[in-house]
Amino acid sequence: MTKSLMDFHDVELAALAAAGGRREFGELVRRHGSAVRALLRRMGAQAAEADDVAQDAFLTAFQRCAEFRGEGTFAAWVKRIAARLYLKRKSKDARYVSEIETEEVAPTIDTPGLVDLDEALKSLNETERLCVSLCHGAGMSHPEIAAAMNLPLGTVKSHVKRGLDKLRARLRPEPPLSGRASHVG
Amino acid sequence: MSVDEFDPDIERLFARTPSMADNALFVADVEARLASSSRVRALALTLAGLAGGAVAVNQAMHVNVSFASSDAPVAGRALGQGLQAASAGTQNAIQSLLDQVGLANLSLGSMSGMQLFWIATGALIALAAAGVMKLSQEA
Repeated sequence: MTKSLMDFHDVELAALAAAGGRREFGELVRRHGSAVRALLRRMGAQAAEADDVAQDAFLTAFQRCAEFRGEGTFAAWVKRIAARLYLKRKSKDARYVSEIETEEVAPTIDTPGLVDLDEALKSLNETERLCVSLCHGAGMSHPEIAAAMNLPLGTVKSHVKRGLDKLRARLRPEPPLSGRASHVG
Repeated sequence: MSVDEFDPDIERLFARTPSMADNALFVADVEARLASSSRVRALALTLAGLAGGAVAVNQAMHVNVSFASSDAPVAGRALGQGLQAASAGTQNAIQSLLDQVGLANLSLGSMSGMQLFWIATGALIALAAAGVMKLSQEA
């Protein structure tokens, strides 16, 4: 009985794609296309731009498929390619914030319960959003992010920390003070 | 990532993959671009093959290589004699075929064995390039 493409593991499909198998690579795109596009949107790309970069990332991945050794997941590998392509595109017309902003973003206590991650990411500034998404979405280390964004390592760490603090505040808002007082009393 | 930055809830949220409604369209776009780039590559290979074949034929018209001279090593002489014998046999066979189909006036006798060899090589290169193009389109 012949295996359908859906039965193959990512590593097997990648090996077949490395030998020129476009159908096999198409299956990988079907499996991981949404994840790569979502990462790019979380990094701040508009939908159309995210799709363009994601397509470029998959084409690059197809050309470099032989380099994928299966040490990590295929999705993570393509995400890193996509993230770097997006940063390269961004670096042409943007300069990342190299100094930490001092303004405080108040936790949104008007949101009952959890809010969507994509919505919460909008409360971060551009550089924080990139740093957090690269760290937690693309699985890049702080030194890798620093090199990719041409920022000092300490600055990247600060952006990630501040970004996470803001995300936590958005995702898990503190209960209102009046609510706390009622427990004390 | 330091301990402070590790947040299992946030990690989980990032790991969650949203399914996009237009995923099939996205896959189709990527496949179309793959096919397009493959066609460009095949065209480039074909052109390179044709150019290589043309250069080979051109060189064959201007270079007179003789393995059969007395200065050549024994193995080279043997190879040269073999090539000459083979090309002469091929010429005779083609000539007799031409005689049978009524094209006896077409003479191949003016071409040397090496010229015929390089012409055949050029044709084979072009054929190989065409084969690569076909294979890459089917892949």
